[in-house]
Amino acid sequence: MPPRDVGDPILLELIKNALDAIVDEMAIALVRTAYSNNLKNAMDMSCALCDAEGRLIAQGLTLPLHLGSIPDAMAQVRRKFVGRIEPGDVFILNDPFEGGTHLPDFYIFKPIFLDGGLVGWSASIGHQLDVGGKTPGGNGCDATEIFQEGLRIPPLKLYDAGRPVDAIFDLIDRNVRVPRQVLGDVRSQVAACLTGERGYLGLIARYGVERLAACTTALLDQAERLARHAISAMPDGAYTFTDWIDDDGIDPDPIPITVTITVAGDRMVADFTGSAPQVKGAINSPLPFTKSAVYACVRHLIGGEPPNNEGYFRPIEVIAPAGTVVNPVPPAAVAARGLTGFRMANTMFGALAQIAPDRVFACEMGGDTGVSFGGYDAERRPFVFLEFLFGSWGGRPTRDGVDACSSAVVNFSNNPIEVIESEYPILIERYGYVPDSGGPGTFRGGLALVRQYRFLAREATLQLRTDRRSHLPYGLAGGHPGTPSANLLNPGTPDERVLPAKCTISVQHGDVFRHVLGGAGGWGDPRARDPELVRRDVMEEKITPEYALRHYGVTITPQP
Amino acid sequence: MTYRLGVDVGGTFTDLVLVDATGAARTRKLLSTTGNYADAIIAGARALLLDAGAPAADVREIIHGTTVATNAILERRGARTGLITTEGFRDLLEIGRLRLARLYDLNFERPAPLVPRRWRREVRERMNHRGEVVTPLDRESVVEAVDRLLAEGVESIAVCLLHAWANGEHERAIGAIVRERAPGVGVTLSSEILPEMREFERTSTAVTNAYVMPVLDRYLGRLEHEIRALGTRAPVLVMQSNGGVMTAESGRRRPVHVIESGPAAGVIATAALARRVGAPNAISIDMGGTTAKASVIEAGAITRAGEFEIGGVVSQGSRLNKGSGFLLRVPAIDIAEVGAGGGSIVTIDDAGAIHVGPRSAGATPGPVCYDAGGTDVTLTDANVCLGYLHPERLPSGLRLNPEKSRRAVADQVASRLGLSLEDAAYGVYLLGCAGMARAVRAVTIERGRDPRDFVLVAFGGNGPLFAAEMARSLEIGTIVVPPAPGVFSAVGLLEAEVEHHLVRTFLRTLQATPPAEIAAAVAALEREAEGLLRDEGYAARPEITRSADCKYQGQSFELTVPLPGRLDGSTARELAETFGREHERTYGHRADADPIQLVNLRVTARMPRQGGAAAVRAGAGRAGAGGERLAYFGAAHGALRTPVLARGDLGAVWRPGPLLVDEYDATTLVPPGCAARRDEHDDIVIRTGG
Repeated sequence: MPPRDVGDPILLELIKNALDAIVDEMAIALVRTAYSNNLKNAMDMSCALCDAEGRLIAQGLTLPLHLGSIPDAMAQVRRKFVGRIEPGDVFILNDPFEGGTHLPDFYIFKPIFLDGGLVGWSASIGHQLDVGGKTPGGNGCDATEIFQEGLRIPPLKLYDAGRPVDAIFDLIDRNVRVPRQVLGDVRSQVAACLTGERGYLGLIARYGVERLAACTTALLDQAERLARHAISAMPDGAYTFTDWIDDDGIDPDPIPITVTITVAGDRMVADFTGSAPQVKGAINSPLPFTKSAVYACVRHLIGGEPPNNEGYFRPIEVIAPAGTVVNPVPPAAVAARGLTGFRMANTMFGALAQIAPDRVFACEMGGDTGVSFGGYDAERRPFVFLEFLFGSWGGRPTRDGVDACSSAVVNFSNNPIEVIESEYPILIERYGYVPDSGGPGTFRGGLALVRQYRFLAREATLQLRTDRRSHLPYGLAGGHPGTPSANLLNPGTPDERVLPAKCTISVQHGDVFRHVLGGAGGWGDPRARDPELVRRDVMEEKITPEYALRHYGVTITPQP
Repeated sequence: MTYRLGVDVGGTFTDLVLVDATGAARTRKLLSTTGNYADAIIAGARALLLDAGAPAADVREIIHGTTVATNAILERRGARTGLITTEGFRDLLEIGRLRLARLYDLNFERPAPLVPRRWRREVRERMNHRGEVVTPLDRESVVEAVDRLLAEGVESIAVCLLHAWANGEHERAIGAIVRERAPGVGVTLSSEILPEMREFERTSTAVTNAYVMPVLDRYLGRLEHEIRALGTRAPVLVMQSNGGVMTAESGRRRPVHVIESGPAAGVIATAALARRVGAPNAISIDMGGTTAKASVIEAGAITRAGEFEIGGVVSQGSRLNKGSGFLLRVPAIDIAEVGAGGGSIVTIDDAGAIHVGPRSAGATPGPVCYDAGGTDVTLTDANVCLGYLHPERLPSGLRLNPEKSRRAVADQVASRLGLSLEDAAYGVYLLGCAGMARAVRAVTIERGRDPRDFVLVAFGGNGPLFAAEMARSLEIGTIVVPPAPGVFSAVGLLEAEVEHHLVRTFLRTLQATPPAEIAAAVAALEREAEGLLRDEGYAARPEITRSADCKYQGQSFELTVPLPGRLDGSTARELAETFGREHERTYGHRADADPIQLVNLRVTARMPRQGGAAAVRAGAGRAGAGGERLAYFGAAHGALRTPVLARGDLGAVWRPGPLLVDEYDATTLVPPGCAARRDEHDDIVIRTGG
């Protein structure tokens, strides 16, 4: 093939596709070799490539909420090891105050060298099953300082010039509850980085270092152009929205998340001033995670197919005052910051809905809920079960919310029930829709889901991170809010007990835990809903005739 | 003289190949008759027999590839289908795996499930993963569910209970109750169609089987009837997604296996061609109007995938983002499909970046040059501008309007990118190559295989036009374009063998399992496979291959590795070594200290073809081509006077490009820097090295 000119849009498209294919290959290598459910089935992980300057040039189509955090982590590694980065090195970190976002997320970076010169980086983020600390699963809400949350790893060399640094492996081995799974998953993350390195070097072999660098720079610019183009098309102004977390599990007070999005020409500022001060409980969101949430949401309003790189962040500024729940200072506890991530996304979409009312959905519901269950099986072997539950999308300006799907800002799968049951002392007794849930609207919010677990271990610790009991998923344009979440222990028995939204309790063999997710918010006045859609929902047994009459004023006789 | 007939029915065309005992082939391409596909088949068969001067009774075998099942799903014209499932889980089918097929798309929508919620009924029962009964089956709840479904007029019922892979007892009891109360209703038990762990995948597969069962049953029944009326008693065999064939009778009972019937045949044909030309490693690339489909033959063997999705948006990329279609977990030939075909539409986004596909102009309105109302520039329009296609007519006779293509490419692409018409069109052509390359990458590089180790076999209406340039970008050295590339899939039908693939989940730790236990489980599968073949009327002993899906304990994804021939004391060690090697080859590392878990045992039973039927020869035409066209090959070469040949004009010695070979079904492009010759089987062989 004759060499193509760097300014050639076709060359750019070719290289963009090639980079995407490499990061996909990395993600596939990670998922297929991982050990923990959360990585291999739920896909709570991301893979990326950075250029020699550490700029994020491609991310696999995995987890948008991770995307924006890579540049900060990358910067910490490059800053700390300046002049000491060698071929064969692999770096690891999880410290939320030095590049990470919470301890379970391990960031692993491998510098890529060609003829002794650094030409790029491959990176993987994996949510590890356990990092020690007081709560199995590493997502407890009840810590009040980072020191209670487990093993804290500043940027360190995991491999030094190709040799594993045994001290780090040994430290991880001694500090986590399930070392075989965690170290296996660390190996998978390293394997993903090797896959990325191989692909990236292949690309250089084909196009040459300079041409590739020029193209990645041009692709960053292309993403930036698309973002600026999209922002320019938005009406200038300031748009404020506040959403709430019910509480942090320690103090009973509701926690406001406020954002003001200012659009001025082709620039956008997302300012979280007005959000709550940092809280005692573990839901504080480190700044990189807050930035990630902003970028992930705004991306939904950028048309076209921008390359998956950091170029589109450039016209977007994030302001998050230090010492708040969206930018905590040490030694804040942050393990359960995922909850705040989802709430920041809800808040951002609330503000974006004012900018683009014809495109943005009412409040989605999903991700808030984390369930971990840890203990020892009959043979005294430790186990940690961890999963995050997802619900439904909010009603949209032109159609209903999707019933049952991942949150828009992550892309999770659920865990197969038969796999869970063959690996853990758990029986799942119910997983499905809750009829008559979700927010009524011209286009209704997606239904709530329910999942019920029966515990078969003799004794274990159950830890819950849930929310949306008093501050419900909001409706838009006259649509009603969604329905509240619920936690029940031993429902329908004399021992039935309502559990707090955030708690760590001890459970015995035979105990049953039921979680009902919130239902998503509705869009538009329910009375304007097409009666045919109401009828369809009744026919589908998604709502009852009584509910149809009460909320939509439509009388349906149940027979077809 | 005896004959065999291959019939490949697609959405647009019905391709037929009639082969005599010497291997000489006659081909026909007819428009498909969507009202009753059998009409075109019978018409084509009559014409071919007339042509051959043969009575229908001389046809000894009919092998059929069909998209009837696929279309029933895509157009949602399947049966009214009910699902019976474990109490608490009727929404599993609709919830699926939750993932979004596209990110950053607030308009995302999943297709509605094939069984609406109202027809998904629950029964009281429960098994655990060891196959032990936790809650006995409540027959009353079954009767209630069945009667409810029958009252709704359901024609077909799928039964999928939790952990039925470990114990199918309850499903069988439900099946018996359905048959007793409604003998005419089709029944699909998940434990029979897919005794494998993972409830959503098993449910989706069982439901899809139930959904297409009555449709395929009617279709194949009618087809057999009409074929008998033609005057032949030849057995009618149907191509499966896995590349084997089974009797039409089996197809009517297990229709989920014939979903990807058509594309599979092309890969079978490629495997046969690869054997013929002595290339153990080959990539098939089949590019039509809408998509490019790639698959790999490695060390002579077709690669298979454990699952695929049907009816989703054709994905132009990430294999990670599933969830836009209906998942089928059945062995299928591993085919990667990318939205790049002749009709793929070219767009330019707000940042000035240019994209090809995945949207297609299809057959209507078609590319701009068809002059049938299409206004969006397509790959075919670019090819017309570049002089690659005859400016006024496609080889099949369709008239073109080249001026319209030129104007559209100039307005929609060239002016917006600030390029000349030719450079813009050439850019579009290269992006078409890139789309094709993406399909090839998905089955090679993404699986750790280097495409340079493979020969590329290009077919389909557009494959031979893009293949050589695409091959160059992946540094593939040799391309083979078989005779009659446009009906190559129908040829493949005639190469297929009767084959059954069976699987059973066998969850054990390898090191802790006595080999005798593995041997017993494998033997049971073999007996089942032989039984199936016996029922189909095959008396001879089949060839059996055995394999196991293994993973390191704790992983979720298995790799399939062959089982050693003898299962004895050294089995565990041998299998561990094979698996470790495969894991390292695929992912770059192995974990010898970790225990290995056996997940599934697999058995394939194959009936070898009797008497080794002669290879199919479609022959090299000399008609139609001639002269030259001015064709453009990018700034480096500019526009070159390019000879237009018939296949028969090529000789055994290498002839340097640029060359164009115009044929009835396709045009082959040999770009400058490449060279072509014709081999002794009338294949066009192109080498990219010049």
